[in-house]
Amino acid sequence: MAFVIAAYLIAIVLFGAYALTLAARQRLIAELSDAARPSPDP
Amino acid sequence: MRLLLTLSLTLMLIGLTWALAVAPTEAIQGPPQRIMYLHVPAVITAYAALAVVCVASVLFLWRRDPRWDRLALAAAELAVLFITMTLVTGALWGRPVWGTWWTWDARLTTTLILWFIYVGYLVVRAWAPGERGARAAAVIGVIGILDVPLIHWSAILLRTLHPQPTVFRPEGPALPVSMLIPLAINAAAFLTLFLTLLTLRVRQERTLTRLVEILEGGA
Repeated sequence: MAFVIAAYLIAIVLFGAYALTLAARQRLIAELSDAARPSPDP
Repeated sequence: MRLLLTLSLTLMLIGLTWALAVAPTEAIQGPPQRIMYLHVPAVITAYAALAVVCVASVLFLWRRDPRWDRLALAAAELAVLFITMTLVTGALWGRPVWGTWWTWDARLTTTLILWFIYVGYLVVRAWAPGERGARAAAVIGVIGILDVPLIHWSAILLRTLHPQPTVFRPEGPALPVSMLIPLAINAAAFLTLFLTLLTLRVRQERTLTRLVEILEGGA
């Protein structure tokens, strides 16, 4: 059963790693959106 | 999008609970056979991702529309994810059943080659950004799928340690219904998760491209 649990844990880790890359890109999008926003008039 | 994610997570919860707690234990292999409920859906989803890469790459080379390129890139990333899952779960299934994590048999080797092809696709994208990299990657995306029939037929035509197909056979699946149902649920869960992640990733890439255009235009 240890191999079965290991397989399911590794699947979770792989999906988690992919989710982290999505989250990192989302942060990059937020930063670029801030940079692209025109500065307010003084 | 949210509906797809909810559907996929619900199917996954049902499918994996069924696979681990309800499906019968296989008489010869014992509990390790339950890895099948991850391994087979992962490979089915990887093949679906590769089909998307191939079609989108052909359309990109033909139309030169960056939307097809973004779709191919997003699908290629997911294809690598699901091929990795296939290889790792295969090794974890092979160790208790065959007595080895890995063997250079035809099916395993051609699957490893497939993984290298699509990692190569991502390396090309990373090292050669822009139109030139996209074109080179699209060629890899079209040619790479030719490895899939080799993988399928390797276990049929050659002497391999890997068993012959038990689901996709001309005579129909060789599995009992009690195993086929959780397998089908997990395959549906993986495919809907793939669609969800693909949609999300394409949207991200589209937004990133627009933002970079705005920033470069303003610079």
